Amino acid sequence: MAKEEGILLSPGRKTRSSSFSLSSSLPQNHRTFFSHTHLELLHGHCHSEESISLDTLTSSLPGRKPQILEILRLIGPLNSPMLPLLLYGGPSTGKTISVLQTFRYLNRPFVYAGCRTSYCPRILFNSVLRQLLIHEKNAGKGSNGAKRCEKPSEFIDLLRISLIQVVNALRERNLKLFSEESDRGNMIYLIFDNVELLRSWDKSSTIVPLLLRLSEILKIPELGIIYISSSSPDAYYLSTGSIEPIPVYFPDYSLEDLRGIFMRNQSNPNLYFSFLSVVLKPFYRVTRRVDELSVAFHPLFEKYCDPLSDQCLVLDEAMKRRLFDNLQPHLASYLNDVFWVPSWASHQLKQEGDYRQKRLWKSIRKEASNELDFHMSMSVKYLLLSAFIAARNPATLDASLFDSSGGSNNPKRKRNLQTSLDKKDNMAEEILLKGPGSFPLERLLAIFQCITSVAELVEDDHFESDFAIENENFRLTSDVLLQLSALCNANFLCKSGSCPLEGSTRYRCTIDEEMAVKVARSINFPLSSYLYRR
Amino acid sequence: MASEKTLVLLRQRLCDPSFVYSAFKSSPNGNYSKLKFLISNTITEACNNSVLLLGPRGCGKGAAAAAGTGGLELEGGGREAGPETEGWGAFPLFAVQMSPVPVCFPFVVDLVLEDLKSELPEIISVARLNGLLHSDDNCAVKEIARQLCLENKLLFSKMASFDDNSQFMIDMLRECGLAHKMIIFVLEEFDLFTQGKQRLLYSLLDAMQTLTSHSVVIGISCRMDADQLLEKRVRSRFSHKKLLFTPLTTDDMQRLLEHLLYLPTDSSLPSDYLKEFNSNINNILTDNKFKEILDLLSAADNSISNIQRFLYQAISSMHFQTELLTMDDLKSAFSYHQRQPMLDKLQDASILELYILVCMNRLESREQDSYTFNSVMKEYKAIQDSYKTSDNYSKSVCQRAFEHLIERELISFANNRLRNLSVEYRPVRLLLSSQELYQSLKSNASCPAILQRLLNYETYR
Repeated sequence: MAKEEGILLSPGRKTRSSSFSLSSSLPQNHRTFFSHTHLELLHGHCHSEESISLDTLTSSLPGRKPQILEILRLIGPLNSPMLPLLLYGGPSTGKTISVLQTFRYLNRPFVYAGCRTSYCPRILFNSVLRQLLIHEKNAGKGSNGAKRCEKPSEFIDLLRISLIQVVNALRERNLKLFSEESDRGNMIYLIFDNVELLRSWDKSSTIVPLLLRLSEILKIPELGIIYISSSSPDAYYLSTGSIEPIPVYFPDYSLEDLRGIFMRNQSNPNLYFSFLSVVLKPFYRVTRRVDELSVAFHPLFEKYCDPLSDQCLVLDEAMKRRLFDNLQPHLASYLNDVFWVPSWASHQLKQEGDYRQKRLWKSIRKEASNELDFHMSMSVKYLLLSAFIAARNPATLDASLFDSSGGSNNPKRKRNLQTSLDKKDNMAEEILLKGPGSFPLERLLAIFQCITSVAELVEDDHFESDFAIENENFRLTSDVLLQLSALCNANFLCKSGSCPLEGSTRYRCTIDEEMAVKVARSINFPLSSYLYRR
Repeated sequence: MASEKTLVLLRQRLCDPSFVYSAFKSSPNGNYSKLKFLISNTITEACNNSVLLLGPRGCGKGAAAAAGTGGLELEGGGREAGPETEGWGAFPLFAVQMSPVPVCFPFVVDLVLEDLKSELPEIISVARLNGLLHSDDNCAVKEIARQLCLENKLLFSKMASFDDNSQFMIDMLRECGLAHKMIIFVLEEFDLFTQGKQRLLYSLLDAMQTLTSHSVVIGISCRMDADQLLEKRVRSRFSHKKLLFTPLTTDDMQRLLEHLLYLPTDSSLPSDYLKEFNSNINNILTDNKFKEILDLLSAADNSISNIQRFLYQAISSMHFQTELLTMDDLKSAFSYHQRQPMLDKLQDASILELYILVCMNRLESREQDSYTFNSVMKEYKAIQDSYKTSDNYSKSVCQRAFEHLIERELISFANNRLRNLSVEYRPVRLLLSSQELYQSLKSNASCPAILQRLLNYETYR
């Protein structure tokens, strides 16, 4: 089942691919696309792939018919030049797949370069040139290997040369194959995907105008250029003006489109239809993205089907009612973790056995699960907690919190605390804005020592005291620094510039309260008594 | 069949800038004639010259140069300077001229150069540079050397250094001057060449001060202040001739449309179809509704490229149905043109995302100068507490919706510092006005009434 496959990929990939497998029956997630095109390119275009008809094209992409027709219209008939196009629309609206399937229908040669996978100008340039070279070979002309280029000027030169060669080769082949019907025209199309990412590249001030004016610079009428972007055309306006490509807008899917998409490839359409009529509307208020919805619906549908003994059963009204009543109480809680992404570990467990899987799902679903998803050693947990405490508490209150003799007994200190509580509204606002503070290493280590010594006192009930001391000594050696850097690498802590006055590195704690509470609970640490409450 | 041929023909016309801009070739006051006169004059007088073509993008600057080099014999003024006359001896063109004239822009260069080249193939060699590609001096000199080698059938060495190349360039200028040949340098995106030390501009313009060299430097830029960007030593060597390209007048527009849309009577198409098509175009061009559309279109942007794009969209709708171009095609093309991306994006936002936008708008109207996701969340919770709507979601869900808004570029982080801080704590701001938000909430059928009230209450109290 395609959906299963999707979920087994890593989380980042998964959303993408599962949406793709839903929105089309074709194996078209990004990765498979790449190997797919490469294969196609390598095996030559003439006998690589049967083209699809217009009907299959529009029916395989529900809700995208007007857009596809518009693209077809703007690309135009065989051998007609075109102005550059810009397809834009939010993420997960089927831009890339629509274009690629359209070209499959048209069966014309194209070059696809995604700015996400080709993440810098050099790689982008070389990927375009390499693909052009393959086209040239396909069209029946051998050529000496791909030339590498670094600079934009070299790229434009090489691009112009190879484009002209490809176009000539295509033209020659068309002459040869004149009688046969596989006329693919002598136009070549360049498709640039994820163009919005260009803006964050190093030399974005030159590379964006360069790519957007490519057709103007090259002046080759046989070249069609299509840009795909998730940000609207106004994101590319430049101070010196720009020739805008012709925009084609991909709106987000409407309720009906989504229903069409989710109804594809269902083994029991009736059952799924009644399921969708229950869940689609409330979820639609939260998000319209197919990838996220498909992740959310998968477990929910399992739940929906739970009372059914036989999934092929024909549903009557009473049954629908029962199923709805069964699902209703869960709906609200599911809505609140629409975006919950199961971790990798839970997938592995899932494969191990159905029984365990169900228990795991249940345990994760419980509002606050006590389990951490990963293993951490005891001292690292303490270190993490002390970092959390250091970030949340104002440094001035450290003494009152940790100094068992001084702070709390000192009336003056107490008054200070009182006055600072008076300002708590201001403080709270400020902390809301600024987020957790940064702290120097010394403060972190001091708090660490304080809370571990308290912990030792607790542990003394169970262990010999000298053992505990040994233990403590062990903790406070260079190991702590090593663990600190491990935490930094794992992105639980981060270094945040050095303080201009003290000159030492300051750290910042990136974990949120929920996580900190989990960690504290796993080692029975009374975290709340150490946090300054506003 | 005939309609498909027509479609291809019209598309070819629209996608070929030199065809589009050739509509203005014949006008005597056009920049085309002026540039051509300038170059041919320089050729006859055997001097050096330099000129800047300035104007907004999409006005046809580049097309002029190509034609100027090709069409000398078409013009009365260019005639005596033509190659067939004995104008040979004197071809240096380095003029610095400052005369604002209405003409059309970079494609003019292409037209002028093409014209001149067809007339004087032996005399002119052209080196074209683009500021986007060759703004680096080293790279630019290398490119000049490469193009000159190519034109004069010399061997180009990739390994040559900057000094070698610039020496070669100066030698070439002298040799060409002695052989009564002229080199035309076309510098597109001229303003980008002025970044850095301007070594290229200086060495080009300095070489033109000698008597032996014959060359023209044509700079093309969209910045009106391009000559002010020059260093003093460069500016003093520049001729200060400027050709200004102004947007189209109504007459020009009419001429352009006729030029683009009427089918040629001598084509291979069936004659009755041809007649039908042309009379249909005639009907459209005289239609008042079409004139209204055209007025609205040119009110926003009356560059040639805008008209070109508009016609392209209209013509492409002939692809599926019609034999002829209809008024509806033009209207729908116009509606595509009038799209407002921001409102489209707002229409796409889900209800929860709209809630967050409204919260942010309330914060902004309270003149809170800086706020983060947490403060937005506080506002959201306050609203949910007081109105008890059904759209009360947990923080993590709201945060994802918030991230969607960032992806959609409806909101953005206020600064790029604090990059390592998590999303909740980074200050954000709205990228849209409350007017836009109000408008889209009103037109959104599925939007809950409470949201509109919340927005109105804050904004229009």
